[in-house]
Amino acid sequence: MIHVSGLYHSYSQDDRYAVKDVSFDVPKGEVFGFLGPSGAGKSTTQGILTGLLKLQQGDVTVAGYPVKSMKNEMFNRIGVSFEQSNVYSKLTARENLAFYRQLFDVPTRDPLELIRQVGLGGKENLKVGTFSKGMKHRLTFARSMINNPELWFLDEPTTGLDPAIAANIKDIIKAQNEKGTTVFLTTHNMFIADELCHRVAFIVDGEIKLIDSPKNLKLQYGEKVVTVEYLADGRPQTETLSTVQAEDKARLQAILGTYEIMTMHTKEATLEEIFITVTGRGLT
Amino acid sequence: MFKRLWTIFARDIKVGTRDFITLFVLIFPLVFAFGINLITPGINDTTVNVAMVAGEDPDREAYFDRFAHLTLLPDRQAVADRVLQRDSLIGVVRDGSGMLVLAQGNEPDEAVELVKLIAVLYDSGAQTGSEQTELVSLGRTIPPLKQIMVNALLLFVSVLAGMLIALNIIEEKTDKTISAIHVTPVSRLTFILGKSLTGAVFAVLMSVIGLFVTGCGQINLLQMLPVILAMTLLSIMIGFIQGINGDDVMEAAGSVKLMFLPLAGSIIGYELLAEKWHPFLYWSPFYWAYRANEMILSQNGSWAQLLLFVGINALLGAGVFAVLAPRIQKGLQAQ
Ligand SMILES: Nc1ncnc2c1ncn2[C@@H]1O[C@H](COP(=O)(O)OP(=O)(O)O)[C@@H](O)[C@H]1O
Ligand SMILES: [Mg+2]
Repeated sequence: MIHVSGLYHSYSQDDRYAVKDVSFDVPKGEVFGFLGPSGAGKSTTQGILTGLLKLQQGDVTVAGYPVKSMKNEMFNRIGVSFEQSNVYSKLTARENLAFYRQLFDVPTRDPLELIRQVGLGGKENLKVGTFSKGMKHRLTFARSMINNPELWFLDEPTTGLDPAIAANIKDIIKAQNEKGTTVFLTTHNMFIADELCHRVAFIVDGEIKLIDSPKNLKLQYGEKVVTVEYLADGRPQTETLSTVQAEDKARLQAILGTYEIMTMHTKEATLEEIFITVTGRGLT
Repeated sequence: MFKRLWTIFARDIKVGTRDFITLFVLIFPLVFAFGINLITPGINDTTVNVAMVAGEDPDREAYFDRFAHLTLLPDRQAVADRVLQRDSLIGVVRDGSGMLVLAQGNEPDEAVELVKLIAVLYDSGAQTGSEQTELVSLGRTIPPLKQIMVNALLLFVSVLAGMLIALNIIEEKTDKTISAIHVTPVSRLTFILGKSLTGAVFAVLMSVIGLFVTGCGQINLLQMLPVILAMTLLSIMIGFIQGINGDDVMEAAGSVKLMFLPLAGSIIGYELLAEKWHPFLYWSPFYWAYRANEMILSQNGSWAQLLLFVGINALLGAGVFAVLAPRIQKGLQAQ
């Protein structure tokens, strides 16, 4: 469904790249997670894949169309949800979706049904200008599936939503994927990524550090992470370290040799811990 | 493509009616037109009002109907009573084998003379089909002041069309919705055309309504169309640029307002400057549109002359297009 190789992008048109030598493939039916801290280049990548940003360098094919010669009709098969919600404030929720569905040539879904599905039932006739940020975000998400997309781009669909609503959104994505939709999911919510994604890519500073399935990652890194609690200058500190990576091993030895250890145990790594172990960076 | 054009157009109109400033722009030409009527009262009634007894003389009725506003009343007494009312209505009734013109005395002389003239023409059997008769007897001359104001109104309407576009783009920019449109099958061109349609329909509709409200509806509207469109296309392009460059509604409205300067300058220059200074105004599309409108309003121009004026504006428009089109495309892409 998606093929990307050697993708570079620089907003300043020089060698300060927001995306650097990114390559990956997403087969049909997969939920592919794009994980990385803010500023890593996730939205930039989605922007190029959806034709909103000009392709500068690299080879990109989306739903069978090379993005260099993108056809408008391709968007009948694609859904895009944006990181920053973008709906008309002067229209009601329902009018927003009713307008949008008119722009497609394929069968579209009933606006009211979608509004209810994202938990905005009863609010359909309110002007979107009166909505909270989270409500607008949900409407943007709902709109992105109005044309029953085969390929669905979701940029931070759960960011800023409270956990119950985020779980609801996650369920919608899962159900949609089970019906055959391929999903390109950008997020820094590791729990959602863990549960939804068949494979994840870790991206930091515009570069992909690793692509694998959460299951493989856990096999590889689980039980190989140690959380150590120690006293440094009388204050308790906690660190999570890999027992396979040379750098972490050295750090562990240093801690053991220098400080008073309070507790120390190995455990199955969460995706977030694996991310930190692999990239040396936190997710926020 | 047409379905999408219509969808974009319909949304723009819907949103327009919900935004105070846009609504103001939408109805401003009407206010302007009624204002013109207030300042130059009475000149709307350039046709005479005539009352007759219904069925008294069907031929005469039909003949007068071609030249006058005809009111049919049941009998002679009713006609006489009607004439006595305050407005300037003139009665025409049978008098033996001839006609009697009933007037109260407060009617304008021209009106009475006109009725007499029509009566004489009818008596002498002048053919109603004769264009000559029609033009000589009723060929209206719009008073100069009114003509200037109506002409200014027409130019104003095209600038407002540009302002509508600017406001609309600002709305899309504020809500960041252009990127959402870009990921639908709507092409960039369809999007731009859809927005432009709003401006063009507004300009044409408001111009026609303005002409009718001010009593100029009988001019050749077909001639008016290319003038309005050429001018409006220019304003629309400016509107897109102002919308793309502006960050909020007030800023965009402010920068479109700057267009009123050359507009007023062109009118004042044309009306007040001696002919030899006119070349200094040749750069201004408003100047050519104003001249074209003047010709059409006074109903004494040829298509050839009109095409010249419109052609010049089309050329100026093409120049503006060459400069602005890439910027508009790029500016919208970046949203
Ligand atoms: N429109 C822009 N102009 C210039 N730089 C940008 C723009 N958008 C993003 N960037 C920069 O590109 C990098 C990647 O940003 P982005 O793709 O938005 O990251 P993410 O979505 O992973 O948070 C960041 O350093 C960001 O500051
Ligand atoms: Mg982002």
